[in-house]
Amino acid sequence: MMRVKTPPVVWRSRNHRYKLVGSKCKACGEVRFPPVHFCSCGGEVEEVELPRAGRLVSYSIVYAADEESRERSPVIMGLIDLGVTRVVAEIVDASPEEVHSGMQVEAVFRRIGEDGETGVIAYGIKFRPAVG
Amino acid sequence: MYVTRAVMEKIDRHYERGVKDLAAAVAKKALEGIDGVDYVLVASSLSYVQEPQLDLGAHIAYSLGLRGARAISVEAGEASGLAAVELAGALLKSKASRVLVIGVDKLTNFTSAETYAQLSLLYDEGVNMYSSGFGSVAGILMRLYMERYNVDRLTMAHWPALMHANAKHNPYAMLRFAIAPEKVLEAMPMADPITLMDSFPLGDGAAAILLESRPKEALAELAAVEAAVGHPNVAWSEDPLHIESLALAYGRLSEKHDLREVDVVELHDSFTITALMILESIGLAEKGKAAEAVASGRFSVNGDVAVNPSGGLKARGHPIGATGVYQVAEVALQLAGQFPGLKVEGARKGLAVSLNGFGSSSYVAYLRGVE
Repeated sequence: MMRVKTPPVVWRSRNHRYKLVGSKCKACGEVRFPPVHFCSCGGEVEEVELPRAGRLVSYSIVYAADEESRERSPVIMGLIDLGVTRVVAEIVDASPEEVHSGMQVEAVFRRIGEDGETGVIAYGIKFRPAVG
Repeated sequence: MYVTRAVMEKIDRHYERGVKDLAAAVAKKALEGIDGVDYVLVASSLSYVQEPQLDLGAHIAYSLGLRGARAISVEAGEASGLAAVELAGALLKSKASRVLVIGVDKLTNFTSAETYAQLSLLYDEGVNMYSSGFGSVAGILMRLYMERYNVDRLTMAHWPALMHANAKHNPYAMLRFAIAPEKVLEAMPMADPITLMDSFPLGDGAAAILLESRPKEALAELAAVEAAVGHPNVAWSEDPLHIESLALAYGRLSEKHDLREVDVVELHDSFTITALMILESIGLAEKGKAAEAVASGRFSVNGDVAVNPSGGLKARGHPIGATGVYQVAEVALQLAGQFPGLKVEGARKGLAVSLNGFGSSSYVAYLRGVE
């Protein structure tokens, strides 16, 4: 098992992962998630919470998931349009048959991994079919 | 600057040999009868995870008996090989007259499942934090392509079939057997709509080229190499199916050189969808038409332009950090009429195209034949 979600890594990424916080350019308004240090226009950025509802642009049903995700295989990964920007994220609470491009989705707070069986647990944002 | 030697090892599961063994095998042949080099550049990527050795370039240079040589390690993910060739070009224009470029990588020290998990490191943290598997992004892009352009799965499968048909003749290729496009659809699903046959086999490899500024004779001229960085996360692209960094690098190259009527291209088909995106991003096919063009034979060895006569990443194989060096070696040998597999008769102009992921960085090398 490759260790990547070690305590310092999980701790310092808590803000953007827990709250879906990205960066917004003060000059051109471009939004990015995960946040970047400078905009691609060269402008300075500030933190911004992203909208929690969006539209699924495309998706993949992943059967060859990493070992740590194997128990929830197949894992559905989606490209989601949040209006202000797009994100790639996991789609949950939906069977492969239910998922389709163009469907409305919303953000939920979920477990995203752990540092081995006894290590720190990492949480973050996933998306599920919109219930509203 | 010129490519004067091009040496490759067959890509395979080389359980008996480590990184230094593979590098030594190709370097020894590339340096036969040569009286020293100014620089040794070592391109490698996944070996830093699978067979960790820091300051790899120096360790390999010393293991070749090149005590006192100058050595540089180059790591740029899947594009490491062509990144090293670009750096070699810069050195040849400034302070060096002879540079050895070695591409070497190791993908079989761990189980396939562990290796695929490690390969996720090629992508952005925003994607790989989900540990969803190596094919996730490619699967999203492939479905987007098929739905946007209304292309069916079988039409897409002509790419892997063409790669296998080509690799059958390449003695350095890992997968030397033909497959029918239908077989791609029947293979194990990896990241639906992608099956295992849309992606490259896991194999180790090494290739070396010798570059010289004023040689007496050469295989081919390395006219120029261009590069650019781009979106590391496909969610950030205005059009996720367009590889901006590649279009930029190719554009810089075509401003200075006439790239029309290129005879042979070796490009980075890490997945079927990557090949189609590259063909469209450098204008070899119209947007949405690359899959049909492949199926119609436009990119076969006797078509308009021969693309991946080696068999490409799909069937020649893709030892991550070494692949760009293979590509340059293959194009140089084609231009010299010496490629040991399918030959592109009378080839005068060739390109090698490499990138990491879906374009966090892209590199294009332009080679010309010499008389």
